[in-house]
Amino acid sequence: MGAFVFRVFYRSLALMIASAFAGSVVIFLLLRMVGGDIATIMLGTKATPESLALLREAFGLNRSWLEQYLSWIGGVLRGDLGEAYTGQYVIGTEIAQRLEPTLILTFGSLLISIPIALMVGVYSAINFKRWRGASVDVLAQVGLAIPQFFLALVFVIVFAVRLGWLPATGYVSVSIDPLVAFQSMVLPIATLSLGITAVFTRFVRTSMIEQMNEDYMRTAKAKGHTVRSAAIVHGLRNSAIPITTTGVLQIGALMAGSVVVENVFGIPGIGRLLLTSVMTREAITVQSLALVILLIILAMNLLIDLLYGFLDPRIRHKEGRK
Amino acid sequence: MKKSIRNFRTQPAIKSPQLILGIILTGLVLAITLVSFFWTPWDPIAIDVEKRLLTPSFSHWFGTDRLGRDLLSQIMVGSQNTLYVTLVSTLIGVVLGTSLGLAAAGSGPRWGGILTRISDIGIAIPSILIALVLATTLGPGRLSVIIAISFWFVPVTARVVVGPARQILSLDFVEAAMTHGRTRMYIVFRQVLPNIAPIVIVQTSMMFAAGILIEASLSFLGVGAQPPTTSWGKILMDSQPLVQEAPYYTLLPGSFVVITVLAFNLLGDGLAVLLDPQQSQKGVA
Repeated sequence: MGAFVFRVFYRSLALMIASAFAGSVVIFLLLRMVGGDIATIMLGTKATPESLALLREAFGLNRSWLEQYLSWIGGVLRGDLGEAYTGQYVIGTEIAQRLEPTLILTFGSLLISIPIALMVGVYSAINFKRWRGASVDVLAQVGLAIPQFFLALVFVIVFAVRLGWLPATGYVSVSIDPLVAFQSMVLPIATLSLGITAVFTRFVRTSMIEQMNEDYMRTAKAKGHTVRSAAIVHGLRNSAIPITTTGVLQIGALMAGSVVVENVFGIPGIGRLLLTSVMTREAITVQSLALVILLIILAMNLLIDLLYGFLDPRIRHKEGRK
Repeated sequence: MKKSIRNFRTQPAIKSPQLILGIILTGLVLAITLVSFFWTPWDPIAIDVEKRLLTPSFSHWFGTDRLGRDLLSQIMVGSQNTLYVTLVSTLIGVVLGTSLGLAAAGSGPRWGGILTRISDIGIAIPSILIALVLATTLGPGRLSVIIAISFWFVPVTARVVVGPARQILSLDFVEAAMTHGRTRMYIVFRQVLPNIAPIVIVQTSMMFAAGILIEASLSFLGVGAQPPTTSWGKILMDSQPLVQEAPYYTLLPGSFVVITVLAFNLLGDGLAVLLDPQQSQKGVA
């Protein structure tokens, strides 16, 4: 068991680092190969040659791409991302401060959607042929079709404007006032959760329906299990792998969703900083922010890779013997 | 389970209300877009500040927007940009992604493995992130959005195609074709491609739905369609500050996005049942 965990961990970690480097090259090149000179992008086409030269000097943009890339990655590894062009903040500390709301938002949504999706999905799989099973599928289908920003606005109309129960925008750090922080995160987390819950529910449902037809289910029923207990005790365990696989795909969607949700609700997280930097053409900040978001996605993937082994003894034993 | 071949093909389609609903809704959305090229109830860009934020009525079915423009006409014209961007990105994604997937399946395990790894990384990077990076340099607009959505659709399609393509390549007829002197790539594109066509068709419909969602979100964030072009996401971006005074201004265009995405998802689901009855009947005990 122990040897296995380390082997999978090292392999997944190596893969993650390789992916992170590949991703950093893509981000670096996307910012330089299309659209032309970065200094002109940041200052606009009306900038004077002197101010352009000054900016290039300050950010080392007059060096070769390889030097620029290496110094950027070196900075990332040291935790030094430099200062934003406007000079108002140090990029590294700014990102660190904004991690809190983003992580609360994304992990909060995961913690809410996974249990709901498991319950609802199993329920609808057990009642596969009845209308209550099918209606779950219809609801999930509608949930999938609602864009997050629209759902956010509908929530604001209903819960903030009409009912006045919750604030429409803003964020207070948990360390300052936990109650207000909770109130301000209810609508954002609910918004981000709905789409993900819908996706997960559909996958739980499909993979559970498949399991319900397996021979071992008949055996379990012969042993005295009810359909429901057989599904929960045996079926869920067997469909854990396909469900986890689709979970990986949802992490990217989760981060993309947090960009949208943070901007609708005015939450000062990473996604909001990213959009502001894009709009003010802060190319250097965008470069580092995109990498940070990518790293979060990859780190979550790593966690799921490890989870595989714990969920499926077949993978565990195969890997362990190698 | 004795059924004639005819029954086997048609029965699921008749039984599937989602396919029928999908076809009707998709047809409706496409019809509205086509009509908008020739006719809209009002001039979609005629500004009349006196008629600002009128609630829905007989003369303006969906009311008017913040500049007094007819909202229904705006939504109709806005569908053009949304569907255009989605169509182009989906086509790029399907054509390049299918070719890449087939090439990965047809080449040896080593190259196939590398291609699969690369597409896994591509899938993990969300389109919205790519679009934001591109918008920094290219500027916000259609081009950034199309590139970003395709950037994600290509690996997604490749990943969906590669498994079934490998499965078909292991069948006996492939060996038979090889002994007839066909090259591997010929077999892949002339004989495997038609066999995986149903998967590609279903995937196209699903990606269309996803594309509409991404385009709308990006336009909403201000990274997509730029004035004078309008788009559903752009209309909703304009409506956001007025959400308190004029909820219909948000709810009506938003509902259009929901119905359109639902239409293409239902179509995809229905087609999956229709084109691959074995797969979908597995679920029936």
